[in-house]
Amino acid sequence: MLGFLRRYMRNPAAVIGLLLVLAVIGMAVSAPFVFPRDPLSLAGRPLQWPMDNPRFWLGTDNTGRDIAAQIFHGARVSLLIGLVATVIAIVIGIVIGAVSGFYGGWVDDVLMRVTEAFQTLPNFILLLVLVAVFGSDITFVTIAIGIVSWPPSARLTRAEFLSLRNREFVQACRVLGMRDAQIIFREILPNALPPVIVYASVIMAVAILLESALAFLNLSDPNVPSWGNLIGAGRGVLRVQWYVSAIPGVVILLTVLGVSLVGQGLNDALNPRLRGR
Amino acid sequence: MRLSRRHLLLSGAGLASLASGLPLPAALAQEPRRGGVLTVHLGSEQRILNPALRASTGVYVITSKIIEPLVDLGAGGKIVPVLATAWEAAPDGKTVTFRLREGVQWHDGKPFTSADVQYSAMEQWKKHLNYGTTLQLYLDAVETPDAHTAVFRYSRPMPLDLLLRALCDLGYVVPRHVFEGTNVLENPANTAPIGTGPFKFVEYQRGQYVIAERNPNYWRQGFPYLDRVVWRFITDRSAATAALETGAVQLSAYNGLPLADLDRLRKDDRFEVSTRGVEGNVFNNTLEFNTRRKELSDKRVRQAIAHAIDVDFFLENFLYGLGKRATGPIPSLSPEFFPNNPVPYPYDKARAEKMLDEAGYRRGAGGVRFSLRIVPIMNGEDVPLLATFIQQSLQQVGIRVEIVQLDIAGALSAVYRDWNFDLATGWHQYRGDPAVSTTVWYRSGSPKGSPWTNQFGWQSDKVDQLIDQAATELDSAKRRALYAEFVRQVNDELPVWMMTERPFYAATSKRVQNHHNVPRWDSGDWHDTWLLPS
Repeated sequence: MLGFLRRYMRNPAAVIGLLLVLAVIGMAVSAPFVFPRDPLSLAGRPLQWPMDNPRFWLGTDNTGRDIAAQIFHGARVSLLIGLVATVIAIVIGIVIGAVSGFYGGWVDDVLMRVTEAFQTLPNFILLLVLVAVFGSDITFVTIAIGIVSWPPSARLTRAEFLSLRNREFVQACRVLGMRDAQIIFREILPNALPPVIVYASVIMAVAILLESALAFLNLSDPNVPSWGNLIGAGRGVLRVQWYVSAIPGVVILLTVLGVSLVGQGLNDALNPRLRGR
Repeated sequence: MRLSRRHLLLSGAGLASLASGLPLPAALAQEPRRGGVLTVHLGSEQRILNPALRASTGVYVITSKIIEPLVDLGAGGKIVPVLATAWEAAPDGKTVTFRLREGVQWHDGKPFTSADVQYSAMEQWKKHLNYGTTLQLYLDAVETPDAHTAVFRYSRPMPLDLLLRALCDLGYVVPRHVFEGTNVLENPANTAPIGTGPFKFVEYQRGQYVIAERNPNYWRQGFPYLDRVVWRFITDRSAATAALETGAVQLSAYNGLPLADLDRLRKDDRFEVSTRGVEGNVFNNTLEFNTRRKELSDKRVRQAIAHAIDVDFFLENFLYGLGKRATGPIPSLSPEFFPNNPVPYPYDKARAEKMLDEAGYRRGAGGVRFSLRIVPIMNGEDVPLLATFIQQSLQQVGIRVEIVQLDIAGALSAVYRDWNFDLATGWHQYRGDPAVSTTVWYRSGSPKGSPWTNQFGWQSDKVDQLIDQAATELDSAKRRALYAEFVRQVNDELPVWMMTERPFYAATSKRVQNHHNVPRWDSGDWHDTWLLPS
């Protein structure tokens, strides 16, 4: 463990990523203390520039809300969406990938065709359809993002299972008479997990982006302070009060960058072939 | 460049003088130039191009160049002949005779006759056209003694002023030979219109553009000047501003651009941003109450909500000061009918709280009295802003508001068909006479599903009676008095609250000549419009 940590910390990009992610977590945790008021309430005159008014150091948006408060509270929403959607995607992906890779044959064929059906649809289009049909409540938006994001993790898990299922330790388990479920989840899965965990960081970054893109199109839940909503709100005043969209845009960029760098760092640190580097 | 709000407000005064119609001297001296393509921005698409079936600005903007009405609004708001050349009402008000223009041809070469007027009135305006069904409720028959006379027979008196003003919007004539004997609502001519106008329909690509080209056989000799008109659907309003600035489009009407951009383009001398030529239309931001909801069935709660919202703050800070508070459903820009009443429900938070307490809805856990869902009907970018402002304002008096985000079609069905809302906010358009498109917001009995009608679960015999009486009253002073009483009643009952009163703004490239020279120019025929070379 300590060796892993040391390997991780040797990578400067990974450290920067970690710091960024920690900063976002810090904002999410401190939001209710730093900005105790409802971030969606009218705070002052709309469209005040950053630093114009000492009360609003990031200015106000076109509905008179404090941008800084929305950024802090938005961190909670974005992280929550990212985490929950990722868990949903990974769980679906692992179950389908594991069953498919372990059993092979027609089970594999069926499941992979289903996965391909999902993969051939651009995931954002599918997300738009789901949101259009089921509404833009934040719970549902999160679930929908999870639903459109699972296919890559299913394929990844399947590939790992294909390479592991005929190893000697698996055959030994079979000989011992272990049940399939036990073999899949207790024996093979832990060995197949590291690349999937690394991939989870990619899913999380994409999930945050997907929510922002939805909100940009005014299709996300307007009753929560998300970064995407703020960008969407700023669209109409983009040419003059560009900061309304730019500030949350930069925050999303840094968050997604942070999550991706952490994922990359984990990958490098977990990869035995790179240990000597 | 950074601009303070005050600066913007001050420049509004300058705009007013610009709007008074000072023509460009250089342009006046020039001979109109023939040819050229006028490209127009549209922010949304209604998917129907038949103004005899759908009364809506978004339809008129395109189809009024292709299909013509009996009469239109001329300079100074006077009714001018188009397909009708003269009209006369019998003293009892039950018969109105129109003389029709001779020598007019449909785009497919067939002659235009009184049979077309008869068909349009009886089969489309009376049966299907929104607002038209109410206006023509008592139209019994249209007689055609000869090919160029149409006699409208009503079972109740029809005020001639009302009919003529209404026909500018609700009097578009479509060809009988194309529609008769077909399923009217599914006729292909609804998206490929055939008319008598200065431009002939060429092509409609969904989500992309509509093209119309010059009609060489137009009845106004030598018109139109333009070769083509192209309407481009650009839903991203900021992108539309960019298109205007690069010269890809020359016109965006009816607040098609973001308010922030309109404000910026005002100071750009390549464009004219003004309310000139849009005087025929005024709109209100509305707040509709679903009175089926227990809390909202109490008049005091509706009134308290009106007191809790600081409309002046909204206008000044969210809408760049482009508008003012409304005093009711009849705007001050309609001098014939405006009852000159003061603004009801001034902003008074304490009073709102007291009224809510008296109605029996005290603050409960977390200071919340009750929760409501608001459906914004996305007519313009100000609608979500106002929904947010209502949410913020009502939170202050202990009413939690959740915004339900839907696209415009979804919002219209949620509010007007499924009644699935507590509050809704959108636009009401006033078209010169309260009986055209205003009283249907209050009159009971509109079929479920007709948008922009009373679907609020509210009904008042008194108001119904006033509306009916005013619509058949021939004496204009009496009509005015009836509408004043109507305004008093609905302001008190408040089934829907008209919050603001706002003119439409159009942004026009200065290449466009003879533009906005009549009160509903954007919905006019553009026969005399021409373009300076770029």
